[in-house]
Amino acid sequence: MSGLRTRCTTLLAWLVADHFILVLTAVYFLVMWLIYPHMAGRRNLANLSSNMWPLMILVTGQMFVLLVGGIDLSQTSVMAVTSVIGSMIMTSRLDPAKFEHNPLWGVILSENGGLLAGHAMAVPAAVVLMLAVGAGIGLINGLATAKLRMPPFMVTLVTMSFFSGFAIYLTQSENIMHLPDSFIRIGKGSLGPVPYAMVLALLISLAAWIILNRLVLGRWLYAVGMNLKTAAVSGVPCAGVIVFAYVFSGFCAAAGAILYSARLEAGRPTLGQNLLLDIIGSAVIGGISLFGGKGKLRWAFYGVVFFVVLDNSLNTMPLNYYAVDIIKGAVILMAAVLDVVRNRLNQTGQISVGT
Amino acid sequence: MNMTAQKNRILLAALRNMPIILFVGLFLCFGVLAPDFFRYQSIENAVKQASYVGIVAVGMAFVLLTGGIDLSVGSNMYLSTVVAGLCIQRFALSPAAAFVICIGAGFTFAMTNAFIVTRLRVVPFIATLATLVAGRGLGRMLSQSRAISFPETITRIGSARLFDVVPYPIVLFALTLLAAWIMLHRTQWGRQIYAVGYNLESARKAGINTVRIRAIAYVVCGVFASFGGFISVAQLGNVNAGFGRGSEFDAIAAAVLGGISLFGGIGSIFPGVLLGAVMIQLVSTGLVSAKVDLYLHSMISALIIFAAVAIDSHRTILLKKMQQRHIRIE
Amino acid sequence: MPSDAIQFENVSKEFFGIRALSGITLSMPPAQIIGIVGENGAGKSTLMNILGGIVTPDTGSMTCQGQPHKPAGPADATRAGIAFIHQELNLFGNLSIVDNLFIDGFPKIDRLGLLDKRKANQSAHQALQTVGLHCPVHTLVENLTPCEQQLVEIARAVGRNARLIILDEPTSSLTQNERDRLFSLMNTLRNAGCTLVFISHNLDEVLRMSDRIVVLRDGCLVSTGSKTEYTVERMIIDMVGRQIKNLYPPKTSVPSETILLEVSGVTRPGIIEDISFALHKGEILGLFGLMGSGRTELARILFGLDPCTAGEIVAINRPLRRHKPAESIHSGLAFVTENRRDEGLLMEASIEFNIALAALRQTAGSRSSIWVDHKAIRDKSLRVARDLRLQAADHKRQSARNLSGGNQQKLVIAKWLLTNPQILILDEPTRGIDVGAKYEIYTIMNNLAAGGAGILCISSELEELTATCDRILVMSNGRIHGDFARSEFNEKNMLHAAFKGLRTAAEPGDR
Ligand SMILES: Nc1ncnc2c1ncn2[C@@H]1O[C@H](COP(=O)(O)OP(=O)(O)OP(=O)(O)O)[C@@H](O)[C@H]1O
Ligand SMILES: [Mg+2]
Repeated sequence: MSGLRTRCTTLLAWLVADHFILVLTAVYFLVMWLIYPHMAGRRNLANLSSNMWPLMILVTGQMFVLLVGGIDLSQTSVMAVTSVIGSMIMTSRLDPAKFEHNPLWGVILSENGGLLAGHAMAVPAAVVLMLAVGAGIGLINGLATAKLRMPPFMVTLVTMSFFSGFAIYLTQSENIMHLPDSFIRIGKGSLGPVPYAMVLALLISLAAWIILNRLVLGRWLYAVGMNLKTAAVSGVPCAGVIVFAYVFSGFCAAAGAILYSARLEAGRPTLGQNLLLDIIGSAVIGGISLFGGKGKLRWAFYGVVFFVVLDNSLNTMPLNYYAVDIIKGAVILMAAVLDVVRNRLNQTGQISVGT
Repeated sequence: MNMTAQKNRILLAALRNMPIILFVGLFLCFGVLAPDFFRYQSIENAVKQASYVGIVAVGMAFVLLTGGIDLSVGSNMYLSTVVAGLCIQRFALSPAAAFVICIGAGFTFAMTNAFIVTRLRVVPFIATLATLVAGRGLGRMLSQSRAISFPETITRIGSARLFDVVPYPIVLFALTLLAAWIMLHRTQWGRQIYAVGYNLESARKAGINTVRIRAIAYVVCGVFASFGGFISVAQLGNVNAGFGRGSEFDAIAAAVLGGISLFGGIGSIFPGVLLGAVMIQLVSTGLVSAKVDLYLHSMISALIIFAAVAIDSHRTILLKKMQQRHIRIE
Repeated sequence: MPSDAIQFENVSKEFFGIRALSGITLSMPPAQIIGIVGENGAGKSTLMNILGGIVTPDTGSMTCQGQPHKPAGPADATRAGIAFIHQELNLFGNLSIVDNLFIDGFPKIDRLGLLDKRKANQSAHQALQTVGLHCPVHTLVENLTPCEQQLVEIARAVGRNARLIILDEPTSSLTQNERDRLFSLMNTLRNAGCTLVFISHNLDEVLRMSDRIVVLRDGCLVSTGSKTEYTVERMIIDMVGRQIKNLYPPKTSVPSETILLEVSGVTRPGIIEDISFALHKGEILGLFGLMGSGRTELARILFGLDPCTAGEIVAINRPLRRHKPAESIHSGLAFVTENRRDEGLLMEASIEFNIALAALRQTAGSRSSIWVDHKAIRDKSLRVARDLRLQAADHKRQSARNLSGGNQQKLVIAKWLLTNPQILILDEPTRGIDVGAKYEIYTIMNNLAAGGAGILCISSELEELTATCDRILVMSNGRIHGDFARSEFNEKNMLHAAFKGLRTAAEPGDR
């Protein structure tokens, strides 16, 4: 009897020590579920999952950049620009009334759609191009920070405003509709019970996990973020590692853009505009340091779950528009405070840490 | 030998004053593209419009110098001006009383941040992200999301001039800069802010009251944010539900462009933050004067700022190299 | 009888279940210099951190001048008249010397809260004079050499009329001149009624300077008494619990003719000029010079951290041109840097992570391997740590920051040993290390050399070089001014060479 008890305590201590934000989210979800039973309804769960996977991909990318002591503010504009470019290639019809004044009208756009409209390879080509553009923008960010030694915040702020401006310029503020069905299926379809979005997110997470925990590159990422000088003396190719982090972040942003655009069935020049703080907030509340060198993929995941569940619960509650904000702020704060308390208890050894 | 030394000295001087050179260069560039940009009026406009972002950026610099960040300045601007505006509507307050209430609200907001960061020990990013969201909600609750217009007594401040020469926003901006400079360089607290930003643990070991110092930084930041908000409202005439949204990025950008490091402890208010804030504004004013396609504005200004930051980073590297002490004595 | 300056009563401290101090009861009489010695990790710094309010003890109490002393933080300790010179310098690189000196209390502040810069500059100038640092007071601290920074740290402590001054290894980065000046300053302070606690691994120094000696081992007080009761031998026995006959192991290696590293005409304008030498297989080559003579800079260039404008470097028949550290490592070079906190270690990372960092690919078996071999890393790191007698609780979870200074140094060496270096460059490898560990490091050097590696050892301790090296190069003002074979070792000539080329002899800290 008492054996079971101690085992339960150990389990609890372990959960609280290492998976705190997840536990907190679960408790929150359960409480909400009791009050609003439709939280756990099928529709809402599907909704939750469709919000969670793309964000997970974005945060994974962001995490790599945070690990090397940088920050990537340009992820949202990478989403916008790739969404627009991809759509311009594969859309099957464009409304002349809206696009006649477009600088690309008659070049690659016409009434019959984009460059490869109707072509069998349209969707794969668009997807590859989107990913390439995302990685390319990441490359610009990476080279500017690593080679030109510009502060990452400024570099990515500038690329953010440049490329979101570029996305708007390309479309002249119009959404691009009529995307091929096979593309839309990426965002809405599923492999049996498992949505494609989830498959993609898990694949990217797996890749990230392997990089961080099994590859030499992963050790380098942490080392560069903890102390650049030590890393350099130890033979770490610092510039390359930093560039890689940004390229990966851009790549992830593009992958996120594919999911979002497919779900919205449109290429949007304003895609992701309000996501930035959610992305970085998820990473940080999960425990990833903004100063570099500290963070685990698991933490990023917990942060994402927390943010998505929180947003979702606030939307299902019959609340005033302003109360949503107030409660959201309060809950973020409470989670953070509990996390701090937990850390302090851990340090003073009142909760034994199990491994 | 002497020639190279001389050359080096000139180069060094040029590098040191690069921000100013850059600034003038940019200015001339726009002048050539759009002749009417050269008029005093347009410069004055640029500085005037930069003044509120500049003031917020000055406050932000304090927090950045301690190694923290304050994302909530935009919400602070919104909430404190909403409070002031509602008080005016309800009680028909004088401009001075409204100003005091606005700053008071900003102070309270900032104290909340300071408390959460220093006492509850929540990471600044998350703490201020929470107050950003909650503050906006609170403001919208109070205003019912309606625009609140300010009486003419206050908007007059936005367009009035000191001695009929310098617009008040510019005067206030200058005063803020001066006060901040004195605070950072001529008081013990200011020096300690730099120490805390360099290394929190070392600062604690050196006997600095780090809790107090960080709290001061957040309070200064919040108070300056509400101050900037007030000045902006005085120019605009009303607060709508989106007022101040995204201002945190403008402020951080101005501060970082001015050379303040996000990692704390490095950078200075003058001329850094001043040039940072005005430069951003100058670019957008310049683009308007040069009648550039509106869709291209953000792209061109991004390119210009990118160039400025690139030149500045290169300059810092060069300066470091040149100032590295030589070992050999010839 | 006057009350003791400081008294510890049963003070204990544990970190993560590891005893750092157990039941220390100790009193320090006033107006004396108290020397504390002990191995790395014996708990010297921890005891002082408790006194200085940086660490709170788990049990026990302290009194200061008869009053209970229970500092809640460093500021309390300062108020009680305690000044602290930290082992790891506690300075702010982004601030000027003046600001650093007075960061927690400027000398004069007017009613508006504004600083009196003139007064501060004057006081700072005076404080710098007393420690013999001739630098403009507004120089940024990050632009100072480690030696000058140490002097700033000393000036900060002595300048504030403290009744108790803690000097935690203040001499480790000072040259002889500055040491002598510091010692006379310490005597002056003691004679003025100040109590000083002096921690050093240079036992001769401790014996010479102190009035009382305290010996710690594994967190326990082993012995204490007046200095007349002690000799260096007794201190060592008390410290390590056994006798160490020789401070230096006998030389076992014989240099061969094969050249491992050949440097010819390496130049970097303003830094080093026309450096040429060869390092042979099995040779321990000493590089002696005063601080700031260009030794570290040379090492950095050899390792590929800084560029050179002319000259050639050939490592094991492979020319290195515009090389990066990774290539150097591949060519068999290793570089134990002088500054372990900023360049040697990742302070926040675990011991295992640090040890593996430079040898991730070697441990995985091939140079092009992209995978981390966790098991190999664990085994090898445990083995190296055991060979070096690195004391640590938990390789996977303890961070480098929580190691004692000496163990941190061993960790840096361990990291490089894992790369199987053929050419090992050591920059001040024994700084801050206890006698036992020094002996171990010399033994490691011997063994590596006997195994066919070449070692370039940079040091400012002439004695250590003459005891361990086969040949010594003397560097001064960025040039090599002497090349002495073992048979020609002669302290006077070497010192003479070390000052050659300096316009004003002495005062190397003065530029
Ligand atoms: N903050 C800390 N966290 C965990 N362990 C610590 C911490 N500080 C010290 N220790 C441990 O306490 C022990 C004593 O360390 P301390 O720094 O007092 O040694 P020391 O005698 O000063 O050694 P050295 O001569 O190398 O400086 C060491 O084993 C060290 O690993
Ligand atoms: Mg110590």
